[in-house]
Amino acid sequence: MVQFFSDVLIRTVDLALIAVGLSCVYSLIRFPNIALVQYAVAGSFLALLLQGAGLPLPVAGLLACLLVGGLAVLLNVTVFERLLASGSAIAMVGSLAVTMILSAVFLVVFGPDSRRFDLDSHPVIRVLDARLTVHQLTAVGLTAGAVIVLALLLFRTTLGRSMRATATNRVLAAATGIDARLITNTVVFLSGVLAALGGIGLALKGEMNIQLGMDVLLPVFAAAILGGLGNALGAVAGAVIIATAETLVTNVNLGPLVGEPLLFLPASYATAMSFLILVAALLVRPHGLFVNEVKRV
Amino acid sequence: MIDVSNVRAGYGDGADILNGISLHAAGGEIVTILGPNGCGKSTLLKCIAGFLAPRAGTVAIDGEDVGAVPVHRKVRGYGVGFVPQTDNVFATLSVSENIRLGARHLPRAEREGRFDALMRQYPTLAAKQNRKASALSGGERQILSLVRALIAGPKILLLDEPSAGLSPLMMHEVFDAIAGIRDDTGMCIVMVEQNAFEALGIADRAYVLTLGTVAMEGRARDLLADPSMRELYLGGSVAG
Repeated sequence: MVQFFSDVLIRTVDLALIAVGLSCVYSLIRFPNIALVQYAVAGSFLALLLQGAGLPLPVAGLLACLLVGGLAVLLNVTVFERLLASGSAIAMVGSLAVTMILSAVFLVVFGPDSRRFDLDSHPVIRVLDARLTVHQLTAVGLTAGAVIVLALLLFRTTLGRSMRATATNRVLAAATGIDARLITNTVVFLSGVLAALGGIGLALKGEMNIQLGMDVLLPVFAAAILGGLGNALGAVAGAVIIATAETLVTNVNLGPLVGEPLLFLPASYATAMSFLILVAALLVRPHGLFVNEVKRV
Repeated sequence: MIDVSNVRAGYGDGADILNGISLHAAGGEIVTILGPNGCGKSTLLKCIAGFLAPRAGTVAIDGEDVGAVPVHRKVRGYGVGFVPQTDNVFATLSVSENIRLGARHLPRAEREGRFDALMRQYPTLAAKQNRKASALSGGERQILSLVRALIAGPKILLLDEPSAGLSPLMMHEVFDAIAGIRDDTGMCIVMVEQNAFEALGIADRAYVLTLGTVAMEGRARDLLADPSMRELYLGGSVAG
């Protein structure tokens, strides 16, 4: 059972930060930016490159996050702001196009092979019955730290209040003296940073390749939608639910149901399960499960 | 303080809504803008506030042309406070967060000093300062919106139909608060209103718009006594 919960935790970590980034940026620009999953890939590969250039991984990771945040702002100003003038559906299709372009660029620059960070090896740690690696625990710590910092930023700082105000009512925010465009780009920057950190966390626990973003695209969207798109902390709760569903599907022994000693569903069923839950939840709560319970960004 | 001169303005590629309007408002007075629906009252206020740039003419504050200055810069740089007609509070934020946002550019000590003073002045809000703004009544939201604008210490206050959707009792309370602000601070207040006679009751001067032009202007008490005002607001025209 402890192993089950640790598997849920690890999968939550895979999804949470990218889903939070997606939700944050949706709260202000009202379209789900698919390209965010590629920011995760960019973050992990940039950190790898910077580590290869001789920087310690924490410094390389930090620099990579800042660079990806900058890339997110650049793409927002040059592409998405203009597309949004034609509507959120056009902007979403545009973000899909950007996703494909970035994927092609990554293929040319980084190649199709999987890579790993240069990490020291550590023995597996036993926490009660669960077995965890140091790198998994590091990813958990990074994710928890980032979510706590984001929550403090949102609810304890003037910038956070301005972000929440702009997300709630852009026109009124401007009438209150808030530069809504500056706030939007600040949130876009943060979403890039969060996605990059999510990508680095994913790569820390295993390998990175240019498919990393597409692999998490659907569950990340499921988590963000389930949490109530635009609700940053709801996205974390959404990630927990999706991770639980996926882990249940792949961990539960269905053998006794069909008279076999052991029968586990293939891992490929995990995504289908998460979407089954998403559809069921949205039939009951069309705007997500936590849209009223947790404040919008 | 505010000088609007021959302003033409409209939305997008559409026709002009304002067709050469001029208006003046000085410190220490309430100027109300009246007129039937669609006459351009709110558009004029948005032009002054900076939500909409004039296509022609000038909007000046203290002699400086600010027609192209966006609203968020007018709030901080020119001492303009704007209270929209609807959606005038941040519903997901608490009452105190709403108010403090209005002064977020001020040093903390000054912000908190002003916050405390306003809470003493508006005890109803003080009692609900930790509640979400969405939990307030329509009148309380209007007062909250006023207080959020006031905490920045504006010299100009622009109000878009402050009585919209309020009960008669709450409307009187809101108008009393607006008159009190003028009397206590000497602020220049420009107020768009549908409730013409109530607005004229607290205003110093008024402009009556029809079809994007100024049909009548003058001292509020004179307009109150003008039979053509009654014609206009009882369904007649302003001809003659």
